[in-house]
Parts: sequence; C-alpha cells; structure tokens
Amino acid sequence: MADYAPVGTSVENLVTFELNGRAVSAPVGTMLVDAAYAAGVEVPIFCYEPRLGPPIGACRMCLVEIEGMRGMQTACNTLVAQDMVVRTDSSAVKDAQDGVLEQLLAHHPLDCPVCDKGGECPLQDRTFKFGPGKSRFIEPKRHWPKPLELSSRIALDRERCIRCFRCVRFSQEVAQDGQLTMQERGALSEITTFSGDAYEARFSGNIIDICPVGALTSIPYRFVARPWDVTNTPSVCGLCPVGCNTELTTREGELKRVSGRDDPNYAVEEGWLCDKGRWGYDIAGSDDRLTTPVVREAAGDRTAKLDDALPAVASLLRGRRVGILLGGNATLEEAGIALDLAASDTLPGAIVARLGVSAAVGGNLRAHPGAELGDIDDADLIVVVGGDPGSQQPVTELRVRKAKRFGASVIGCGARPHSLEVLGDFHRTTPGGLADAIRALGSRIADATTPIVLWDEADLAADPSAAAALGHLLADNDHARQITLGADVNGAGLEALGVPTTGVFEAIQDGNVDALVCVQADPLSASGRRDWAEALEGFAGPVVAIATHASPTTVRADVVLPAFTMWEQEGTLVSMTGRAQRLRPGAAGPSGAAAGWELLVAIAHYLGTPPAYRTAASAFAHTVATHPAFAHLTPESIGVDGTPIAVRAAPAGDVAVDSADGDGLELVTTHDQFGDTATAASHALRTAFQVPTVRVHPQTAAAYSCEDGAQVVLASAAGRSGPLALACDLRVPAGVVIAPLGAPGAPTEGALPRDNRRVRVGLERVV
Amino acid sequence: MPILNSVYRHREAGHELTDIAAYQAAGGFAALKQALGDMEPDDLLYVFHRSGLRGRGGAGFPMGRKASFLPKDAKLAKYVVCNADESEPGTFKDREIIEMNPFQLIEGVALAGYAIGAERGYIYIRGEYEYQARILEQAILTAREAGFLGSDVVRSNFTFDITLYRGAGAYICGEETGLLESLEGKRGQPRLKPPFPAVAGLYSSPTLINNVETLSALPPIVTRGADWYAALGPEKSPGTKIFSVSGHVLRPGNYEVVLGETTLRELIFEHAGGVREGQRVKAIWVGGSSVPVLGEQHLDTPLDYESLNAVGTFLGSGGCIVMDDSGSIVRATLRLASFYRHESCGKCTPCREGTGWIERILQRIVDGDGRMEDLELLESIFGRISGKVLCALAEGAVAPIASAIKLFRADFVAAIEQGGSPRPEPMWPASPAEAR
Repeated sequence: MADYAPVGTSVENLVTFELNGRAVSAPVGTMLVDAAYAAGVEVPIFCYEPRLGPPIGACRMCLVEIEGMRGMQTACNTLVAQDMVVRTDSSAVKDAQDGVLEQLLAHHPLDCPVCDKGGECPLQDRTFKFGPGKSRFIEPKRHWPKPLELSSRIALDRERCIRCFRCVRFSQEVAQDGQLTMQERGALSEITTFSGDAYEARFSGNIIDICPVGALTSIPYRFVARPWDVTNTPSVCGLCPVGCNTELTTREGELKRVSGRDDPNYAVEEGWLCDKGRWGYDIAGSDDRLTTPVVREAAGDRTAKLDDALPAVASLLRGRRVGILLGGNATLEEAGIALDLAASDTLPGAIVARLGVSAAVGGNLRAHPGAELGDIDDADLIVVVGGDPGSQQPVTELRVRKAKRFGASVIGCGARPHSLEVLGDFHRTTPGGLADAIRALGSRIADATTPIVLWDEADLAADPSAAAALGHLLADNDHARQITLGADVNGAGLEALGVPTTGVFEAIQDGNVDALVCVQADPLSASGRRDWAEALEGFAGPVVAIATHASPTTVRADVVLPAFTMWEQEGTLVSMTGRAQRLRPGAAGPSGAAAGWELLVAIAHYLGTPPAYRTAASAFAHTVATHPAFAHLTPESIGVDGTPIAVRAAPAGDVAVDSADGDGLELVTTHDQFGDTATAASHALRTAFQVPTVRVHPQTAAAYSCEDGAQVVLASAAGRSGPLALACDLRVPAGVVIAPLGAPGAPTEGALPRDNRRVRVGLERVV
Repeated sequence: MPILNSVYRHREAGHELTDIAAYQAAGGFAALKQALGDMEPDDLLYVFHRSGLRGRGGAGFPMGRKASFLPKDAKLAKYVVCNADESEPGTFKDREIIEMNPFQLIEGVALAGYAIGAERGYIYIRGEYEYQARILEQAILTAREAGFLGSDVVRSNFTFDITLYRGAGAYICGEETGLLESLEGKRGQPRLKPPFPAVAGLYSSPTLINNVETLSALPPIVTRGADWYAALGPEKSPGTKIFSVSGHVLRPGNYEVVLGETTLRELIFEHAGGVREGQRVKAIWVGGSSVPVLGEQHLDTPLDYESLNAVGTFLGSGGCIVMDDSGSIVRATLRLASFYRHESCGKCTPCREGTGWIERILQRIVDGDGRMEDLELLESIFGRISGKVLCALAEGAVAPIASAIKLFRADFVAAIEQGGSPRPEPMWPASPAEAR
C-alpha cells in the first residue's frame, strides 16, 4: 500500500514505464520500489517502510538505474513517471547491491546460527539473493558488548544493527513517544533512548517486527525457537475490542510468540500491536490459570476430570430454570450456542444475558454510517468524544496520530485527560457538561469534508442527552462516519446477536432462575459487584463457571470448568468497528480444559440433547445461519483479514437516568489496558504495568483532606470501592474523580452501579 | 592580477569594520537602503541573477537561480539561512569576514531576505567559532539598534531580523540539509533530496541557504551593479573569490582575487609567498580537502570554476592546501580518510562503512602491512561509494583519496613495497609540548 503518497491512487491515473525492458503500469504517486514489486521485480530494501512516513534513503540498498538521470537513484523515493526507463538487473545495479551488502556485512558478526532472527531475517535473505557471496573485508571487526537490554522485553545487539533508523522513526513518527534516538555518529552510531533509561512505551514491541536484522529481539522469545521448527498461525487479539490481527508462533504445541503480521491488515491495526497484545500471552500460563475442573461438594472440593465434571454439571442443571451469563469476551460461537440451548429442549426457558455496557443509546449512534480504523487515514477531521483511546483501545491512538501527521485535524471533548489531547483542540468537560461540549463541536463537524467521530460507548450510554447531541451532529453531515470506542472485546458481536445486558440478574432476584452458568463471565468483579454478591449470597441454586482464570466467581461456583484462552481456541470475535474476525489456536490448551463452546456442547450432550453441531466450524455455521446480522458470513468471507458485519441499530428504549445519583464527585472510569488484571498477571509485562490510581485535581483532594499517595475508598450509593492510591493530577476537572476499571481485585467496580449509570462518590481516606 | 577586496571591504578600508559607523563610512548599508528605497524584490532577484554570482560554499550553484526556485505563492513563511559552518579543512575565509566585516554579511542576508520575501534569517555558525559568534551577535544587536534589522528596516516597512544559531561541532552540518536538521534541533544528518530547501527547507518552508561569502558579495553587487560584477573574470564564473592558502607556504592567509585572472602559481608564489627555499610543490588541494588533488604540473591553471574542472578538480570552497615535497602524500591521504570517517554522520551505508574501511586499508599501507591488491580494492570501494550516497560528504571523501592514488600512485606502491610510509621531518622543530 502506497499510503505515504498524498496523491490519490486510482486506476484512471496510471502511468506506464519501462522496467527491465518490459512495459509496466502503476498508479500515479507510486514509489518505484512498490511499482516494481507489484510487477514481480524485487528491488531489495532495508530502511524503506511506508508505514513509518516518508522514505529517508539511508540504506542505499534499492539503487536502480534510470535512463537520463545521473548516477543511480534510490527506488524508495523515486515516483514512477510516464515513459521512465528503469533497469534493476544491469551489472551496474548488481555491483551497487554487492557494494551495499558488502559494506553492511563488513562489521556484522555473521552470528546467524545463534541469532533469533536467523531464518526469518531480511538481511540474511537479501544477502543470499542479492549479495556478493564473499567479502573482501580483512580488517578487524568492530565489537560492542552484547546484548543490551533496551527494556525488560527488548534486547539490542549493536553489532548486528545496520542503522536503518526504522526503530527510531517508529518511536518518533508513529508512536511519537519521543524516546528512541541514534547517539554518536558515523560507524559508532547506536540506538538508545534520549534519557538512557529503558524504552518503556505502550507500542515498543513493534520495533522488533520492523527491525530488518537481528539487532532488536524479544527477550521472552530469546533462544526459544527457530523459524524452521515453528508454525505461524494468523489470529486476532482478544484483549481489547480493537481486534488487532496477529500471528501466533507455536512450537511443540506451545505458544512462543505473538507478533504483527508481515502482511498487515490496513483496515485494522496496520501491523502495529500494543505491548499487551504482543507479550500478554504469558497470562495463559499464569498462576491463577484454571487447568483442572473443580467440583464442590458437601465433603469438600474435589478436582476432577472433564469426563466427571460434565455429568455433574448436567445433573445440576437438569430440570432447573437456568440463567446463562456471558462475559464481554465470549465468542460468537459461545453466545450462539448459549442462545440455541435456551431456545431448544436442552435448557428450555433459559435466560441469556451478558455483562457489559447496554447499547440501547449507543445503538442509535451505531446506526450512523460506521467507519473502520483504516478509514481514519482519509478523514480530514477526527473527533474524539469521551473515552481515553490510548488507554482503553491502544492501537487506535496510532491511527489517529498518523492521520494528524498527514494533515487531519483532531478535536474532541471528555472528562479524562488522555494521550490524544496534545494533537488538537480538546475541551475537558466538568460533570454534566458533555452534551454542551459536543454541541460546541458542531460547526467543526459540519464544515469537515470527511469527519470521523470516535465516541466512547460507556460514556455516551451513561449520558443520553450527550448521545442525543452527538446523534444530531452526525445526522447533520452526510459524510460523517463514526467509530464506537467499545468497552468489551466482543461487545459488538454479542450486541449484534441480540444478547441483552439485563435479565439474568433480575431473574435471580425475582427467583425466576434456579441455576446460573457463567460463561467467561465474572459478575463478582464486574460493575455492581456488591449487588451481584448480595444476589448470589441468597441464591440457593448451583453456579457453574466456565472460565480461564480463577476469580471470585469461580471461587463461589459449585463446578468450575476450565476453558481455553483466546490463544488456544477457535472462535469468532467482532471488533468495536464491527469487523468479524477469527481466533485460531496457536497453542494446545491444558489437558483438563476445553474451548468454551465445546464445554457448552458437551453439557448439552450430557443433558441428553446432543446438538447438531459438534465442531467449531459447524457451531459457527449454526450461529451465523440463525442470526440475520451474520447471514452473509462464511469462513471464506472472514478469511484471514476478517469482514465487516451488518450493524444492528438497537431500538431507542429504556435508558439510564440523565443525572448522577447522590452527592459528591462524579465518578469517571478508565480501563487502562496496562493497569488491569490481565497485565498484572503477565510476567513479560511486569515493567509495563501501570499501578492503578484514583486521579483527582489537587484541590479536590484537599477538599477531602487527602493528599497525593493517600489510600482512599470511593463510596457511592451503589457501594464502596476497594482501597486505591490517590494521585493528584492538575488536568482532572474539579468535581470529577477518575478511577480504574478492571484493576486487580476490581476495587472501583465495588462503587459502581450494575447498569452503568453515572454515579457520584465521596472520597474516604483509609487510615 | 592584483587583489580586489570586494567582500573583504575591511582590507580595502585598511582597518576592521566591526564598528557600525566605520562600516557605514566605508559605504556600508548603502546597498540595503538602495534596494529597499527603489527596488522591487523581483528586481533585486534579477540583479543577483544577472551578476552571475555562484555559491561560494563549494558547490558553485548560481545564486540567483537558486533564489528564483523559491515558490512565489507559497503560503508558508520563507527563510534565509546563512551557512557559517565553515568546517571544510583548509578553509578560513568566512571567519575573517565575520571577525573583520560582520555588517557586510548582515547586509547581505537582509538583501537576500528582501529579494525572496523572507522576514527571518538564520546564521548557523560552527560551534568552534565562539569568538566569531560573539562578534556577530554584537553586530546583529547593533544593526538592529541602528534600524537595519527589525520591524521597519530603514523605515521601509520591510520587516526582517536575524537569529544567530551555534552548531555543536559537526562537519556534516555544513551540508545544507544537515544544517537545516541541526537548526531545527534534530540530529545533524542530511535529508533525502528532492525536495530541495528552496521548496521545503527549514521547518518544511521555502528556504534560501547560502554561504557567508556568497551573501557578503551581494552588497557590492547592488551598489556597483550586476554588470560590474558580471564583467569581472570569465563569463560563466565572474566575480571575486577568496582563497584561504595554508600548508607549506611562507605567507598563509586569505586572498581575494578576481576569478580567471590569477593562476594557481600566482596565488601560491606571489600572494602566499611560495614554498620554503629548496622545496618544490608536491600536492595542492585547491578547493578545500574534498576536491581531487593537483600536482606541480597544474600550477599554471587559472583559478576559476571551468579551468579547474578542466584539470579534474573543483574550485570548491577555495581552501587551498599546499604540501611541498617534504611531506608524505600517503600519510596526508590517510589523515584525510580519518577526517571523513570521523565526520561521517552514519545515515547512509556506503559513507558510514566505506569511509572507515578506506581508513583501515590506508592505515595498513602506512604501517607497512599494505598489499598490492589493496590499491585495486580501494578503487573498487571508491566506485561503490561515488554516485551511490545520500550527500556530498562521501563524494568529498573519495575525491582527494582516489585522485591521490591516481596522481601519486608511485608513492603508494613505494609505501607498500618498502614496508610503510615513515613520518616526515616536521617543517619546524617540535614545540616543547609536542616534544613531550
């Protein structure tokens, strides 16, 4: 993709030029190197990477001859032109390629046999394909101590580095974290951070993927596998609703690595992963991973085999009125089977619901034309309403920064200070001020040619007047499109299947169900966990938990069925922009566990009503066949890159009341992907973990007689939070307290109501 | 041909012109007043163009043409940048302009600014020129107080001011795009061209970047007329040029001569006093160290762009380094190779790796470990650098070394065959410090 070029690349705008004696056509604005590649001619490159911005012409590997131009030209920054005559196969070009590779390898240690990159190394491959074969360099080689820890996750081997500047450009141009630079000069140039401290950033791992040599390697993957004894599987990340496309590297049934794909999905993540998506896979093996079924009986807990536990579950559910509660990351298959069992003879009359944000209000906003992350590239105005994309949907941040780099304006409003605010005009709202702030954006959106509005699902679901205001603005501009900054991994998918957010809790309270099955759901750590705890305390029926990790809910459950994680199972997830994508297993799960859908099918078997589907593929086929939103989906149409689904607009109906309950500070939550339970459980991410804090303005803290660093509890009408450290932040508006969702122990959720209403809290100091 | 001190007005005046009154008494700021009084910017640009003035920093690109490349309708601010990063070995002409005649440079920058429609000029001065930077800073301050810079230059509604910026000591920051990167606060590394600075230079804005001597040549061109300047010397490269003569000569120093009317022999023997009694000229790097070396047989070459090109070298920056036959060309070449290896910025592969490789091979030859095939190897490396690099630095590294091996091949062969190249006797007895 020639996304560096401001010129439109349409088929009408073709130029024809001569390449190695034959006529080749390419769109106007294509770089010669890309045009040649499309025509089947490889011009070797190292520094060229269009995703990093304009070419820099540093490595000189792509030299070609162009008739009428003096000397040799770098194909990476030469635009194709009509009737240009190009040679990439002359002896002069060959000599230039020999020359560059001979010089690149002069001081290179040639330690390929012990290098992690060996076997999948562009330097190695291009040396074989384009290199001189032998070196005339007889001088002593330059040596450096090796390797350095650029961070706890990235090793830097300066002897292997060819100074292509890709990593520096990623840090400066793409992530804009301002950390990496080259220090010293000439042959002594070396990659380092400005400060000399570790390279700690949310997207740091991408420099490993783009390094064309073995200079930057992943420490968790160091000496773990060789390219020829692994298999690579295209999959998708299920840690946040962005749905980044990944590649899973498996050796002997174990997942060894997660990386961005060589062939990125430009509609979604463009090849960039956040560090959590890249290294968080070790939580599949964390201490609280469930590997063996547990059956709790009067005589005490006993661990069991699945073959014992499943009949036990069946006997607990048989004849009972069942509630099935799905977590926000349940796959389409899991949800589809749950709905099917409830509609069939297996669990007749069962009630199915999910934890998460009600889309009743969001549904109306979703009905406006949707966009994908890739469309942000073409927007002239990006509006961020509420949320904190950099924390909650990390890779979204890179796409917005890219658009800004290419000249788009970025504006927005919301209560949280966040990383995108530096890109443009942002209005930080005080309690109740979101709707007015949105209206103030009206003229900017109306005047824009191709605006895209990114709106936070939870914020607008909790503020109907703000959602209505935003709906008007979206309706005013025919070209406006919207992206939901979703809260749940598969929230959009579950919504499209028609799984409601209410029903099960109410049924428990009203005594209308007498057995509960939690599928990837942990109500005792969710918003309104006090209500859930009270409800389950008085609940006499059995609780069955299908879960990957131990949680308060699995502790309470009568039977625990260990499930596979997203890295171990097949399944379909729908991203926040409505793109259906496939999870494909990159690891064999624990022998005592199974995929969630498989466990549901097995329960049906033991209940004596075997369903028609028994494989992931047939479960998928059954699910899509019975739900109109997915009618067009097939495994082929999803492919490796996914495909958008038809978005279902929820009817406007019951919405939360438009004011926060009670006195005190308005509670605004942020799910920092790097401060949640999952990140806390990852060994690889131990230095990336952001200690959860409650943020308030210093004056707010003073008003509650608290100071920076104090331990506090948030108290609301819905309950009390666990203890949290207080951090004073001048950017937080008065009257607002920002608290972490999903933090270890789910402290904030204790103060939250179950239905995502806005809530007011008081700060109490813990002595 | 005698000296013509057009840029070195202080020499004409017989005393330094660091005092603004003295500069004005010597005709200073008349050009600026004249231009702002009764010339349109385009007229001024045309004067520069007709004068035939070529860039004096080394590349010799016609100044008026370069200025005319700036887009007329650009929405962005335009800038004039003066390259005072005088780092070319053997070149010290700009230093004297700044020390003795700083207002002429300031006047020249302002003239260029008026011609292209800039409101801001930057003078990027090399970090080592601390003393000179202080003089220039003071001169800018004085000029501003006297109304020659600022919001209403000589009451003409023309707004123009100059900011002085000190480099941090890198040869590559004399390369125009490397300079612009450094001026923007980034790592000093050349940019890929195109776009050229005229289109996207400082802060991606249209930028005219010229050497100190080029800009200082503008005031006399305005007051005395483009025709006067164009009539000096040969048609294609008219005007005066300062040569900094150094090395094995008796009167090293700066000499401003009319191009084409002085030969290399006259410059070295008449102006610079010739080499020591009993010595002969061995090698001359006439345009700074980055040009192909000449020998005694080239002494009668006239000093102008075309004549020097005809004998295979370049006028360059006019830093004329002379070595007599007491010196070792092999060692001198190694010294140059070390310089370019040290100054290579590291951005592009052939320069970063090639300069170091060349130095190591030459070091082996000097140390007596040379092999006959090393000369061939060197030539092959030169071919794999030249024409394949990002900027002119590596071209400038190859030129003097490749030409030395060609012109003085016997010396290199002798060094290889006879086990090295011994250190020559010093020209003067070692100082006590050196003796230690």
